[in-house]
Amino acid sequence: MDLLQGTLDVLILKTLSWDSMHGYAISRWIRQRTDNVLTVEDAALYQALHRLERKGLIESEWGLSENNRRAKYYQLTQAGRRQLRAETSEWRQYAEAVFKVLETASP
Amino acid sequence: MPRIPGIRRAFRLPWSSASRVRREVDDELRFHLEMKTQELIDAGIAPGEAQRRARSEFGDIEHTRRYLNDTDRERMRDERRAEIGDELRQDVRFALRQLGRNRGFTVIALLTLALGIGANTAIFSVVRGVLLRELPYRAPNGLLRVYSSLEGGLTTASVPDFVDWRRQSKAFSALAASYENTVNLTGSGTAERLNQASVTTNLFELLGVRPALGRSFAPGEDLESAPRVVILSDGLWRSHFGADRSIIGKTMVLDGFETTIVGVAPPEMRYPSSVDMWLTTRFSQRDLSASSRGARWIDVIGRLAPGVTRPQAQSEMAAIARRLALQDPAHDAGYGTYVIPLRDDMVGAVRAPLIVLLMAVGFVMLIACANVANLLLGRTAARESELAVRIALGAGRGRLVRQLFTESACLALIGGALGLALAQWGTWMLVAIAPSDIPRLYNVRVDTSVLLFTLGATIVAAFFFGSIPALHTPSDKVALQLRQGNRGSRTGPGSSRARSILVVTEITLALMLLVGAGLLIKSFARLRDVNPGFQPAHVSTFTVTLTSARYATLEQQRLFAGTLLDQVRRVPGVDSAAVTFGLPLSGTSFQLSFDVEGRAAPPPNAEPRAQVRVVTPAYFATVGIPLLRGRSFTAEDKPGAPRTLIVSEETARRYFPGENPIGKRIRFGWNRDGEHLAGEIVGVVGDVRQRGLSAALTPHVYAAFDQWPVDELTVVMRTRGDPTVALRPAHAAIAALDRDLPVYDAFTLESMVDRSLGQPKFYLLLLTAFAVLAVVLAVVGIYGVIAYTVQQRAREIGIRMALGASAERVVGMVVRRGATLAIAGVLLGTAASFGVMRVLQSQLFGVSARDPLTFVGVAALLGIVALIASWIPARRAARVDPLTAMRAD
Repeated sequence: MDLLQGTLDVLILKTLSWDSMHGYAISRWIRQRTDNVLTVEDAALYQALHRLERKGLIESEWGLSENNRRAKYYQLTQAGRRQLRAETSEWRQYAEAVFKVLETASP
Repeated sequence: MPRIPGIRRAFRLPWSSASRVRREVDDELRFHLEMKTQELIDAGIAPGEAQRRARSEFGDIEHTRRYLNDTDRERMRDERRAEIGDELRQDVRFALRQLGRNRGFTVIALLTLALGIGANTAIFSVVRGVLLRELPYRAPNGLLRVYSSLEGGLTTASVPDFVDWRRQSKAFSALAASYENTVNLTGSGTAERLNQASVTTNLFELLGVRPALGRSFAPGEDLESAPRVVILSDGLWRSHFGADRSIIGKTMVLDGFETTIVGVAPPEMRYPSSVDMWLTTRFSQRDLSASSRGARWIDVIGRLAPGVTRPQAQSEMAAIARRLALQDPAHDAGYGTYVIPLRDDMVGAVRAPLIVLLMAVGFVMLIACANVANLLLGRTAARESELAVRIALGAGRGRLVRQLFTESACLALIGGALGLALAQWGTWMLVAIAPSDIPRLYNVRVDTSVLLFTLGATIVAAFFFGSIPALHTPSDKVALQLRQGNRGSRTGPGSSRARSILVVTEITLALMLLVGAGLLIKSFARLRDVNPGFQPAHVSTFTVTLTSARYATLEQQRLFAGTLLDQVRRVPGVDSAAVTFGLPLSGTSFQLSFDVEGRAAPPPNAEPRAQVRVVTPAYFATVGIPLLRGRSFTAEDKPGAPRTLIVSEETARRYFPGENPIGKRIRFGWNRDGEHLAGEIVGVVGDVRQRGLSAALTPHVYAAFDQWPVDELTVVMRTRGDPTVALRPAHAAIAALDRDLPVYDAFTLESMVDRSLGQPKFYLLLLTAFAVLAVVLAVVGIYGVIAYTVQQRAREIGIRMALGASAERVVGMVVRRGATLAIAGVLLGTAASFGVMRVLQSQLFGVSARDPLTFVGVAALLGIVALIASWIPARRAARVDPLTAMRAD
């Protein structure tokens, strides 16, 4: 299933809400979390990461990966955390509203 | 996911270059692909296939790479910008803190800058208003003043010449004539004397001035037969008519004539000067007739026709003048014309002195900057260990320089702001004390271009004094010194040399200003010593003009003058009183040419000329002009008696060399009521200065008032004690005789002499003030350097004294250093002054611009002051306790 427009950013923010991760780990995490239902193209993921960084929602630093290799880690900034909170509640309202309509039995 | 904290710093650089961004993007993508490949291999896929799949699953790698590169580069740029802003904020905060910590330094530096910038701004605002501001008329560059010229001297034009110019000239789209006069306003309360300009009807249109109310003059209104019309000035309209907008069409009584108000001029209309009203010229048939061609008394301006240049107009006018000279050699032989831009003509006389002042104040600014640079250098030296520590902690040299510049800029901006406040006050004060004969003073104010000037001066100043200490930032070797524990490290010889150069420059400039001021002071003293030819103390004067019909005949004028004098003599305190037409030094000019009877007629325009004065017998005694030979006028020189004249010594010297003028008869060309002014010379009196104390002597001829009555009566009164006391009762006496006669130009002769000295005094005052300021700053500079040297060499001095050097030797050693700087500065300054003081020559009277006495005196004065300034710290050095000094480090 392809991602809905604008969903990727909030998924990335959520992914980073616990700890900093490098791009590959984010990609893998999203795959695992969604049981491979959502396919995120890596190209799109990296573009989103850098776009978010430019917006100041996440920041990056170079660190060492689990297999001792130099990797670029991303983490949420304060602004990113705020953005995640706002978008989460927005998504919830949106999804509930859509469900309400879809689950209506009769007109 | 373990991560080693701290590694970030190791990789972090101040800001990234494009290549670093590219490298990081590559690294990030490679890492991803390798991890993915590994994952696939772990899942049992062959390495080659795994690599291929990792790439294909990624998507468009190259597009992504480009996208990431662009995004990151933009992010870097933003960050860098923010970082610089942060640093600037940081630097400014730090600079302000530094300035706050060194109160003494800050106060002196700010005061110096504020004085420098303030003085410059104030003088610039005057220069801008007087010299630079455009005339407030349409296309002001096309406006020219047109003069007649004779042997290089310029004169006003005659009416017939003007008419011919207007008829023949093609270079001008219009020519207009005007002359200024005064006019009696009666019929509304007390009579008043107002300034008016009589102008040809095209003047307003030529200038492009549209009346604020009503209309301007219509063609034909300058005919003698036309009804009288007037245009009021904005000022008169407000002060006398309460800015009444329904004033147009009403009448006022001017010189006894009903005159209709047809317009009100806008406030910026100030040609030919700030008059109260404009009337039309109304030239008489006599004025227009060929016989008046020699009477040159009107001011002419022209507007260049489109596409015509000034040289073209000049050559056309010269050709016209040549034709007129051939046509009427008796009046116009030898006369040419001269055209000059109107604004240059208005400000011509004050241009040179104002530019000298601007230069002088620029010097003050340079000295101020040099002083602040010097102070900053001293402080950089004192802060060397701080700077060294910051270098050691990793601050780049560029960053340090930027920070030092920030400090200079803060200093300059605060100084500039203070200077601006000072300039507001200074400009106001300059305008208040400036003599009123400086033209266009009403234009002077602190406006946008003045503000821009101040800002520019401030920025230039900041760069000037900021760059010098910045160039002397300690480099790495200072950090080395720091490590060596050399805590008392000093700036190297480079900084010391810089300070010496600054001080020598200051002294050089200060000396130049001082020479300039010295020359002006000497010139002024010479000017004051000039004998005006009369004794102004205890004499006061006022003037009335008999314009109404009551004084139409000469006999009526003569009788009124007699009654008036009787009344004035009765005023308590008045010892003697007389009537004259024209006072010395007043600028009143009535110059006529004459023939000496019995001599061959001289060629046209080479006849003897003299200023003619008409006086009552007591005049010479009253103003204190000595009778040298023959007799003065008496009551016997009355109408009907043989006409008598008295000449001045200059007249006798110039026109009767080796002869006794007494008994000779002369005849003027001046024709009044069919009679020439002619008579026998009965006496010779002393010379009086006519145009000013510095002007050459002019020949004078005096006629007896009773024999040649005039309608403009200037009364002079010699009093016991305060000469102003008699003025009020004298006015009352006149009001009792005729309440429609306004009294004007009432002042003491002493104030008149003072007024003639107004401009030289003004320039002298300012230049002296700047010179004093310059000397004070230069002295502070030399003091600072010597005091610093003493402090720097305290240890050496201590050792010398411990080894037996006497206090005198130590003082001598230190003072010698000060003396070297002072002598260098004085020599350079003298040499420079020698070349530059030429610019002052036109302002000097009786003193050469290279007056050796002034040069030597000023050099000695500045040298002595500089020595004292270095002797004070030297004495302190000699009092140093050798042990303390040696232990100090």
